Amino acid sequence: MEYKVEAHRIMSISLGKIYNSRVQRGGIKLHKNLLVSLVLRSARQVYLSDYYSGACLNAQSEREGNEWDITDSEREKFPPSATECDRVESTEETQPNEQPEKEREYRENDDEVKSDQVDCTSTLQEQNQNSSLDSVAKVSSETPPESITEPKESPSDSAVAERDSTPEANGESHQPPKTHVCSNRKRSAEESESGDSPQKRTKVASSNAKEDEEAEEMDTSNVSNLITIFGSSFSGLLSKESAKPEAEAEDSGQICCDQMLKNLNPWSTAIVAF
Amino acid sequence: MGEDGESPKINHSFLRDYVTEADVISTVEFNQTGDLLATGDKGGRVVIFQRETESKDESEELGESGEYNVYSTFQSHEPDFDYLKSLEIEEKINKIRWLPQQNAAHFLLSTNDKTIKLWKVSERDKRPEGYNLKDEEGRIKDISTVTSLRVPVLKPTDLMVEVRPRRIFANGHTYHVNSISVNSDGETYLSADDLRINMWHLDITDRSFNIVDIKPANMEDLTEVITAAEFHPQHCHLFVYSSSKGTLRLCDMRESALCDKHSKIFEEPEDPGNRSFFSEIISSVSDVKFSHSGRYLLTRDYLTVKVWDLNMEKGPVETYQVHEYLRSKLCSLYENDCIFDKFECVWNSTDSVIMTGAYNSFFRMFDRETGRGVTLEAWRESSKPRAVLRTRRIYTGGRRRRGDVGVDSLDFTKKILHMAWHPAENIIAIAATNNLYIFQDRVNAENL
Repeated sequence: MEYKVEAHRIMSISLGKIYNSRVQRGGIKLHKNLLVSLVLRSARQVYLSDYYSGACLNAQSEREGNEWDITDSEREKFPPSATECDRVESTEETQPNEQPEKEREYRENDDEVKSDQVDCTSTLQEQNQNSSLDSVAKVSSETPPESITEPKESPSDSAVAERDSTPEANGESHQPPKTHVCSNRKRSAEESESGDSPQKRTKVASSNAKEDEEAEEMDTSNVSNLITIFGSSFSGLLSKESAKPEAEAEDSGQICCDQMLKNLNPWSTAIVAF
Repeated sequence: MGEDGESPKINHSFLRDYVTEADVISTVEFNQTGDLLATGDKGGRVVIFQRETESKDESEELGESGEYNVYSTFQSHEPDFDYLKSLEIEEKINKIRWLPQQNAAHFLLSTNDKTIKLWKVSERDKRPEGYNLKDEEGRIKDISTVTSLRVPVLKPTDLMVEVRPRRIFANGHTYHVNSISVNSDGETYLSADDLRINMWHLDITDRSFNIVDIKPANMEDLTEVITAAEFHPQHCHLFVYSSSKGTLRLCDMRESALCDKHSKIFEEPEDPGNRSFFSEIISSVSDVKFSHSGRYLLTRDYLTVKVWDLNMEKGPVETYQVHEYLRSKLCSLYENDCIFDKFECVWNSTDSVIMTGAYNSFFRMFDRETGRGVTLEAWRESSKPRAVLRTRRIYTGGRRRRGDVGVDSLDFTKKILHMAWHPAENIIAIAATNNLYIFQDRVNAENL
C-alpha cells in the first residue's frame, strides 16, 4: 500500500530531524521535537497496523490476496531489517541494572538473515521471560554465531551474563543464545518487530526471503545508515539530557505482537523525553 | 582599504539578495500609544522607531499621520552559553513588550530563550553647563583660576536617546521562553517557557513565582507543551495559555497559587475527516491574543485563525482559513520544516479585523463582520511608498485571473511570522525576514 511506503518515508524524515536538532544552535527545541515524535508515532502506527492485520491473517493461514501482497512486500523490507536490532549503546545511562538488558549486535548480512531470524525468534522467547528492556541502540557489526560470548563481553555487566544462562537453562541452548534487545529505537524496534512476525512466516516459507534479499538491502540500506547515524548521536543526546532516563520497564509477559508494540511505545516517548 | 579603483568592478548584486541571519526580525511590538514601535532581531538587537509628529494646525485632518523613523538601536542580548549543560543560548529576541508609560521614560521588556531584561529608554536633550570646577570639556580646572562662583544652567543640546538595562531577570527558566506578558496591574508580568509559566514582579529579579507547571514527573509521559501565554487586558488575575495540542486554558490566580488546574479549557474536537500524520502538528497553537475588549481570544494554528468567546469553551465562534490550499502539501511542508513555522496573529484596535501572516510575503486580514478575508503582499518590488496595496489571490482552481499566484509557485522562504497593529489607528507593522513594512490605512482620511 502506498501509505505504508509513505509512512516509512515519514519515519525516516522524522528521525533525520531529530538527529539534526542536536546540532542546531540554541539547544534542542522541546516543542519541535515533541511534534516530530508525534508524527513518528503516528507513522509507525500506520506502518504497523496493516502489518499486524496481515500477520494475523497469515498466522491463521487465511489470506486474502491483498494481505499476501502486503506481507510479501513487507518481507522484502523486514527480514534484513530484522538484522538491525541495535544494541543499546550507552548502558551507563540506563536505569540501574535491576532492569537487565538484552543486547544483541546484528549486522545486515545475507548469510545472517536466516540465522538472525531464528535468533530473533529465540530472543523473542527470551524477552517473554524478561521483565524489562532498555533503549538506546547502536549498530555494530559482529557476526551472530559468535554472539554466544557477546553478552559476556559486552560492557553491560553480569546481568547480561545471567541473561544468557536463563535461555540455556530453558533448553534453548541448541541455538546460540543471542540476547537481543528490541531497542527502543523506533526504527530498529519496528524493524525487529516486523521482523519477528515475519519470522514466523518465513519459517514456514523461507525461500522467499532469500530472493528478496537484494531488494531488501537497497531498501534498508538507508535505514541502517540512519540507525548508525542516529544510534551514535542519540547516545550523545542522552548524555546531554540528564534528567530523562531512557530506560523503560517493559512487561514481557505478553504475546509477541503486543510486546513489540509496547517496546515501540516507550522508545518513541523516549525521543520526546529529553 | 585602499583599492578604490577596483571596487567598481566587484559585482555586488549578489549581496542584495543575501540576508544576514542576524538581521532577521523576530518580533514587532507597538507601545500603548503607538508612538513607538520596537523590533527585535535574531542578532539580539532592538531597534525602536518613533512616529514623527507632524506639525499640527487647526485644519489637521483625521488620519494624517507621520512616518516612523529610527529612534534608538541597542544590543539587548548577547549570545550566551550554559556551561552546565553545554548548550548555546541564542541571542535572538523572542518577544518585546512595552510597559505602560508612567513618566517621561519608556520601559520595555525583551527576552531571549532564557533571560528577560527590562530596558529604560529615556531622552536627554539638555545638559548642564557652567560648572565651577570643570571646564567645558570636563577637565578639572586649576583652582587658582576660579575667581567667581556661578550656578550651572541647563542648556538645550542635541537629542540623545539613552537606553539602559534596569533589571535582568535571569535563571528563571529551564526551557525556552516563548512569551512574556505585562499584567494590567502594572507591577507584574509573566514569562512562559515550554513547560512552565513564571510570574515576576518588575522590581524583583532574584525571585519569581511559578504559576503553571505542566512538566510531567516522567518526561516520557510528555504530551504537550505551552506555546504562548498572555494576561487578560483588564483582569489582573486572569491569564490564558495555549498548548501544542490546540487547547487554551484560562487560569484564575485567585483560585489557587499554582494554576495547574485551569478555570476554563477551550478546545475544539478534531475533525476526523481531516486526520493525517500531521494533524497534531497543525493543531498546535502558535499564538494567542486577547481582544482589546477582553471578551474574545484569537488563536493561530498552522492553517487557520480562530476567534473564541471566553464564555464558550466548546469551540471557537469564528474560524478563518488562512491557507487551506496547503493542507494537501503538509508532507512537503513537514520535510522542509515549514510546518513548524509559528505565525502570529493580531487584532485591530476595535477588534473588528484580525490579521495574520502567510507565505510568499503574503499576509491575510479578515473582517469579522463580513467574514471575508483579503490577501495582501509585503514585498518591496510590488509596492512603492504611498502606493495603495493591492489584494492578491492564490489560484486554487476555477477561473484563473491575471496576477493570481499558483500554489506551487509560492515562496516558502518568504514568510510573514511577526506583525503588530497600532493600538488606536489602522497602522500595521509587518516583518518580512529582515525588512519592516509599515502600512497605514488612509480610508478615514478626509483628504482622500
